Amino acid sequence: MIAPAGSLLAAHDLRKAYGPTVALDGAEFSIHPGEVVAVMGPSGSGKSTLLHCLAGIVPPDSGSITYDGREMATMSDAQRSALRRSEFGFVFQFGQLVPELTCVENVALPLRLNGTSRKEAERAALDWMQRLEVDDLRGKRPGEVSGGQGQRVAVARALVTGPRVLFADEPTGALDSLNGERVMELLTDAARSTNAAVVLVTHEARVAAYSDREIVVRDGRSRDMERAV
Amino acid sequence: MSPAGWGRDLRLGLRFAFSGGREGWLRVTLTAVGVGLGVALLLLSTALPNALSVRDHRERDRSDYTYSQTPPPRGDDTFVIADTNTTFHDKDVRGRLVEPEGPKAPPPPGVDTYPARGEMVVSPALEELLRSDDAALLRQRLPYKVVGTIHESGLIGSHELAYYAGASGLADRIDGSQVARLKEYGSPNPVAERADPVLVLLNLVVIVVLLMPVAVFIAAAVRVGGERRDRRLAALRLVGSDSAMTRRIAAGEALAGALLGLVLGAGFFWVGREVAGSVEVMGVSVFPSYLNPSPLLAALVAVAVPAAAVLVTLLALRGVVIEPLGVVRTAKPARRRLWWRLLLPVAGLGMLAPMIGKGRGDGEFNQYLVTAGVLLLLVGVTALLPWLVETVVARLGSGGVAWQLAVRRLQLSSGTAARMVNGIAVAVAGAIALQMLFAGVDADYTKSTGKDVQRAQMQLSVPDGRSLATESARFTATKGVRRVIALSEGSLGDAAWGTDSGPAKSTQVTVGSCAALREVAALPTCRDGDAFALHGAEYDTDTATLATPGRVLHFSPRGDEGPDVTWTVPAGVRRAETVVDPTGMRRGGFLLTPSALPAKAAAQVSGQLYLSLDPTVPEAAEYVRNVAVSMDPLQNPSVWSATERSRGYDSIRTGLLVGAVCVLALIGASLLVSQLEQLRERRKLLSSLVAFGTRRRTLSLSVLWQTAIPVTLGLLLSLAVGLALGAVLLRMTGTGVTVDWTSVLSMSGAGAGVVLAVTLLSLPPLLRLMRPDGLRTE
Repeated sequence: MIAPAGSLLAAHDLRKAYGPTVALDGAEFSIHPGEVVAVMGPSGSGKSTLLHCLAGIVPPDSGSITYDGREMATMSDAQRSALRRSEFGFVFQFGQLVPELTCVENVALPLRLNGTSRKEAERAALDWMQRLEVDDLRGKRPGEVSGGQGQRVAVARALVTGPRVLFADEPTGALDSLNGERVMELLTDAARSTNAAVVLVTHEARVAAYSDREIVVRDGRSRDMERAV
Repeated sequence: MSPAGWGRDLRLGLRFAFSGGREGWLRVTLTAVGVGLGVALLLLSTALPNALSVRDHRERDRSDYTYSQTPPPRGDDTFVIADTNTTFHDKDVRGRLVEPEGPKAPPPPGVDTYPARGEMVVSPALEELLRSDDAALLRQRLPYKVVGTIHESGLIGSHELAYYAGASGLADRIDGSQVARLKEYGSPNPVAERADPVLVLLNLVVIVVLLMPVAVFIAAAVRVGGERRDRRLAALRLVGSDSAMTRRIAAGEALAGALLGLVLGAGFFWVGREVAGSVEVMGVSVFPSYLNPSPLLAALVAVAVPAAAVLVTLLALRGVVIEPLGVVRTAKPARRRLWWRLLLPVAGLGMLAPMIGKGRGDGEFNQYLVTAGVLLLLVGVTALLPWLVETVVARLGSGGVAWQLAVRRLQLSSGTAARMVNGIAVAVAGAIALQMLFAGVDADYTKSTGKDVQRAQMQLSVPDGRSLATESARFTATKGVRRVIALSEGSLGDAAWGTDSGPAKSTQVTVGSCAALREVAALPTCRDGDAFALHGAEYDTDTATLATPGRVLHFSPRGDEGPDVTWTVPAGVRRAETVVDPTGMRRGGFLLTPSALPAKAAAQVSGQLYLSLDPTVPEAAEYVRNVAVSMDPLQNPSVWSATERSRGYDSIRTGLLVGAVCVLALIGASLLVSQLEQLRERRKLLSSLVAFGTRRRTLSLSVLWQTAIPVTLGLLLSLAVGLALGAVLLRMTGTGVTVDWTSVLSMSGAGAGVVLAVTLLSLPPLLRLMRPDGLRTE
């Protein structure tokens, strides 16, 4: 398969089933550097599975995924893990911060996993926390901050390694509209400032409005939507 | 709060426990399995005294000891019984030859009718052994036809090897010890032995030490799934339940697990009881019917376990604020206070202190104070450990990511970690104390026999009327026998033994070849016909006087009556220095070579054979026993050992070992269950960590650190408490305080080994949980 010209991450004819349940049935996808693509669809349509496959978390049953010209299927588990540590960032619906670590330690964690020293990692983490307006939470644990604050800490954690692709799975799903909009503003601004591509899984049109392009997944198949400007 | 309100909330909790779908059932089942294992062990311990008592009664009911009793005259209700115990492959075989002397002679317990001559009735275990391929030598030794089985009432264990064989002419062999005439089985005047105070102390401490970890374990088991339960409780608060009510509902949920645990525990016990009948541990076996728990103690377990579940839950939730929007435990909890935690061990030591030195002599120590003191010291471990873990982990510095994840996790919930290790810490502390006590009093209960096991390993007496030389030659030719020392032994006195006054001076006489005599004395030269007077023996004051050439000495007759056989001390009697003989004695008296012994005196001395075996022949002892029994069915050659131990001491030590193995296995199982439960609750987090590239090795190492840190602290604390308790117990018995570091380290090692095994066993599930599937929500 030849990826669309200039695309950073592309998938072709992806198929994935969990037992008898078909999650992906020939899905297509592509994204360019600095682009924000919203993946939309109803619950159970396969959008999260598409994100997991694109991020190398779950291997597809068939089809191909290329990242920066490299076929992901040929990479070992260790290589895919290294890719996720250094090139990708993740934001999940409930943040999934490590409850034992303080907020700054949570943000510094991906850098530390890459071998950066603790001091340097925490300095970089604090920079990102300032940009996301949560630097005052540095010493608090996730259990001591609000949902919106926690989600902003999770965004800072996702961006701290300077990823080329940011995967966000329902990043505002657990937040009220005000908090959700603030998180989306900060997330997309930060991503654009670093030219990071964003794969944004959501079922909310309000959130999808922050994207440059929308893809709708239904019954495991994807369809590119033209945006009316 | 009214009892009705309590009941309503507990019932509500019970309903919640079972209405949580698959998740709820899994949680209740995990709790119930944990509690059930503990309950089974408690029931087993309440059944053990009964099992031991039944064994004692059965043993007493079949006893046929006749020492110091005048045998009854032959009648139609008498029987003659001979002790023919033997050993086969290090296992004792209880053997009896029996001969009823009339139709009214009662059969032995567990036997319907007396076997005829040449026949035998056997225990089921012996029957099975005799049928096996490796029992050929035992079949040779017991050449009787099996005609029946000894029932349970005549045996003291399911694996006991026992037989009753029919015989004839036994009345001629009645000697009041090995062969006796009786009218009934059983001890007519059972005498209760006064218990050795040190053994009583050991018993008490063993019971407390083994049961404490079980209690700790049950307390931990009822808290399985605590974190998820807290979230459910928050939801209850949201719909209007007040704080106290929520706690009671939570207690009701724990009660469900405990009640199901009681049922499972009864089931485990029932299965264990049946299994117990088919195993033998260190030579002790029981029948399932022996293991009936005492009703009172069983009722106590049935009430105490659910009550403990409710109390533990209420106590555990005491420091937790359950708000409608969540549980405020994730915030840093208040620091643990040390003062009241120290009070427990200090109070324990305070109770034990007045008992110091009381365990010797009259043994008047207060058993209640000892039990309470040991209990408080061990409970002190469970109180001190959470404080210790919290204090130490709060001071642990930075490290790699795995270390940081583990340390931060411990800082946030050190209580959970301490709870997991508490059981092991208590078990190890108790075991260390007991090992110290055992090592300290070991010398009192282990006696040297003095026998030289390098020169001989077996000994037997040659029956009257048999030629010592002939029998010696038979054993010399027996496979596996390297050397035979044949000596005849008797006594000489300065007057005839049958007279009223008897001899005023007397001494020993030993007859043997020059080679055999050199085993008991240093002989300058020796030829057949020589006689020697021994010099240098302990407690021998008469030989020097009696060894006057020409003096006439009288042999002591065998049995009550016999001819007066004399021996005149020859002119050429020589002096010889006594040396330590194979039995460990320095004998005195005269040494005679065979030709120096008057022909008539041959019947006045008894032959002894000391056998040296070839260690390369594994069945050598069995060959010897078979030859001995073919010489005389009543023969049972004794096997020598360098030391011998008190049976009571040995059985308590065996009990501790068996109990410690059970407790450590149980705690290991509980640790594994709670470890898996914790991992399951963190499934999503683990998956997300893997999603952004965390190495599996990092997470595995973090789990290892999370276990290793509290375990190390727990073992250090148990070492300190164990050594302190051991020292106090040794002082109580009036023994000098010494530390047996080998056993201390081996007990700590066993505790650490259990934790390591649990960590290794939890790694495969951890790796499975780290799969990205955990991120799926639909």
